[in-house]
Amino acid sequence: MKILIVDDSKAMRMIVTRTLRQAGFAEHAVLEATDGVEGLATVAAESPDLVLSDWNMPNVDGIEFLRALRERGDQVRFGFVTSESTDAMRETALEAGALFLIAKPFTADTFAASLSGVLAA
Amino acid sequence: MTVLDTGPEVTDDQVASIAQDVWESFLALALVPHPLGEQAADPAGPTLTGCVSVSGSWEGSVFLRCGADLARSAAEVMFDAEPGGLSAEEVCDALGELTNMVGGNIKSLLPGPSRLSLPSVAAGNSYTVRVPGAVLLTRTALLCGSGTVTVCVWKAVSP
Repeated sequence: MKILIVDDSKAMRMIVTRTLRQAGFAEHAVLEATDGVEGLATVAAESPDLVLSDWNMPNVDGIEFLRALRERGDQVRFGFVTSESTDAMRETALEAGALFLIAKPFTADTFAASLSGVLAA
Repeated sequence: MTVLDTGPEVTDDQVASIAQDVWESFLALALVPHPLGEQAADPAGPTLTGCVSVSGSWEGSVFLRCGADLARSAAEVMFDAEPGGLSAEEVCDALGELTNMVGGNIKSLLPGPSRLSLPSVAAGNSYTVRVPGAVLLTRTALLCGSGTVTVCVWKAVSP
């Protein structure tokens, strides 16, 4: 499977990649994009099986990215990894079609709990 | 430096807990309350300061400041890099992300809805941060090893 990590921080993309390995998902290929614009292009070109996206990004942010995917009919599995995790944001994310929202800081256990069912489907 | 009586919005203990959680989770480093508390001086010498702003129902900003050496060490952990192996841009990226996490979690404690800005990072020697039209809600001083880390929460006030 292919997992697309979308985050404007290079450090955070590396941490998410490392955490995926620690959570037992090392066998999956990892793709990267730096914002929603790159994310939309990468989803179109690579058809990843799962998108893990930051919320707060330049150009096109995470929720705009998700809504743009759904508007063009793309139902790729999508989850947020973000430093903000209010109830309102979780509700907004789920209404837009996200499967989960992982709050930063996170652990490998958090990733395993959120992604196991998603990647097994 | 005068710290405003914060009321229930955000407390020094909450800010410390958030910063400690970020440090332990992503850096595997202990961050402990500074023994001098509010009297602790800002980090000396070359320092980096990350900033995120909150706008909406609550308006203000969060600043995270530490020494340049500590910022570089933290970045090396985040990037899993060799000592001295990172560019200044990568160190700023890492400190910006640490600021984003601390600021984002503090924002979650404040009245919403509101938006968090992208982080910005400044570097320099012996500078003072001032925020016009704002009051200092909390200034939390912590220690990572021998290095001081300060987190300041400023609240914008109506003219």
